[in-house]
Amino acid sequence: MTGFPTGASLPTGVTVEVFAAAFEASPTPMVVTDPRRGDNPVVWANGAFLALTGYGREELYGHNCRLLQGPLTDEAVLQRMRVALAAGRPFEGELLNYRKDGTTFWNGMTINPVRDEAGEVVFFFSAQADMTDKHRLEVAMRDANDALEREVAERTADLRSALEQKTALLHEVDHRVKNNLQVISSLMLLKARRTPEGDARDALQAMADRIGALSTAHRMLYSEGDVSRFDFREFTADLIADLAAGLDEERTRIETEVDSLALSAAMAAPLALLIHELATNALRHAFPEARRGRVAIEARRCAAGMRLVIEDDGVGMASAPDNPAGFGRTLVEMVVRQLRGNLEWSDAGPGTRIAITIPLTEADAP
Amino acid sequence: MAEVREVLGEAPEETALRILVVEDEVLIALELECLLEDLGHVSVGVAGSSADAIALGRTASPDVALVDIHLVDGPTGVEVARQLSRDPHITVVFMTANAKRIPPDFAGALGVIVKPYSERAVAGALAYVAQCRAGRPPSADALDGFHLAPALGGGAWTGGAP
Repeated sequence: MTGFPTGASLPTGVTVEVFAAAFEASPTPMVVTDPRRGDNPVVWANGAFLALTGYGREELYGHNCRLLQGPLTDEAVLQRMRVALAAGRPFEGELLNYRKDGTTFWNGMTINPVRDEAGEVVFFFSAQADMTDKHRLEVAMRDANDALEREVAERTADLRSALEQKTALLHEVDHRVKNNLQVISSLMLLKARRTPEGDARDALQAMADRIGALSTAHRMLYSEGDVSRFDFREFTADLIADLAAGLDEERTRIETEVDSLALSAAMAAPLALLIHELATNALRHAFPEARRGRVAIEARRCAAGMRLVIEDDGVGMASAPDNPAGFGRTLVEMVVRQLRGNLEWSDAGPGTRIAITIPLTEADAP
Repeated sequence: MAEVREVLGEAPEETALRILVVEDEVLIALELECLLEDLGHVSVGVAGSSADAIALGRTASPDVALVDIHLVDGPTGVEVARQLSRDPHITVVFMTANAKRIPPDFAGALGVIVKPYSERAVAGALAYVAQCRAGRPPSADALDGFHLAPALGGGAWTGGAP
């Protein structure tokens, strides 16, 4: 045997036999092959290698390590190993190997060339580790991950379909509410048309107008992306436009000054009734006998919430004809109570001024 | 405001429209006919189903068809609009609480009156239609409750619903 390049010098007494004994006793499976002999056969293997593979020494020595390979051994890794060894380079990788009894194990190996002083590869030294447990764990984790992803995908699909159902239901209910409001309004107007002019007809027409105000509220709701809020300024403009359409502008006009407020959808119907009632009342009673004038509607954010002022320059409360039923006023008071607000009627000299303060919580108007 | 007052008043004779009402709710249809009459227009009939609507569209020679989406035989109003608007003499306007079902091309309709509508919205829409048909450049101002189809400058239609 030729000389080998030496690294650290060996202490006295540490002989080749000591190394042989240490390697033999090591729990790490080790094997040495000799590429100078045909087919690079095994020339040495330690006890741990024999235990790992199930072969006896006499069955291994003189044979190439490929006897550990089988049908499921990865050809691509083998190819990489062959190329490295042929070029005299080290190799590191994992291969599915077969024991003598046919069972498989994952063999994580390093193979290093051992060179003589001339630099020629005279042996390959390989140390192994049984990676079967690690592989099993990896597979188990991959399976668990896949299962989790499947479950998440299923859950997401369930939620999406539930949301679609809810949205469809909301559309359906929205459609029915709007259609029914139209039916109710048509019913009132049909009856009004068939009623002789007078109190009964006026009452029917007034009810139809109130339903019209509620309809405006519903039309405004859900028309934007946010189903829980509505824009109070746009809403008031729409309401007033319906009222103003019937007016002789030369004689009476409605002026509005309304802050842009995103109010809770629950407030739409009461506010529609309230504004409709007060504005209609002013238009109906403040300007008798072709009296000219204006109705001003103002809504501002204030510390307590919202302050709504409806003011006319008409004949004033004292001069207005007494309304025995007083339904409009009762309606206004009820709605203000529902909104937890308070109401002040006062003489605006000339005309009437109604100031309403409606408290707004964080939920009503963020 | 003068414009709004004008459109609410009775339509001048030359702008009186012959109108087909496609609506399955009898009460709404009846009231709408009264309103059309008040506005100086003429109802040429009421159809509650898609088949009746298409048949009346051929025989009653309407100028305008007011079409609800949901009819006796289902949400067939869109197909009615598509069929009727193939006739160049008919202007189709949807009239529905189900505006979400209107396709992006509006099935050939000019626009939509959203239910619940006010009398003013109907009057305004019909005045607009009359001006269109008379070849006068219509003013799209004061068109509350009436949305033009996107192709006619009405902007993207979101369906007016959640």
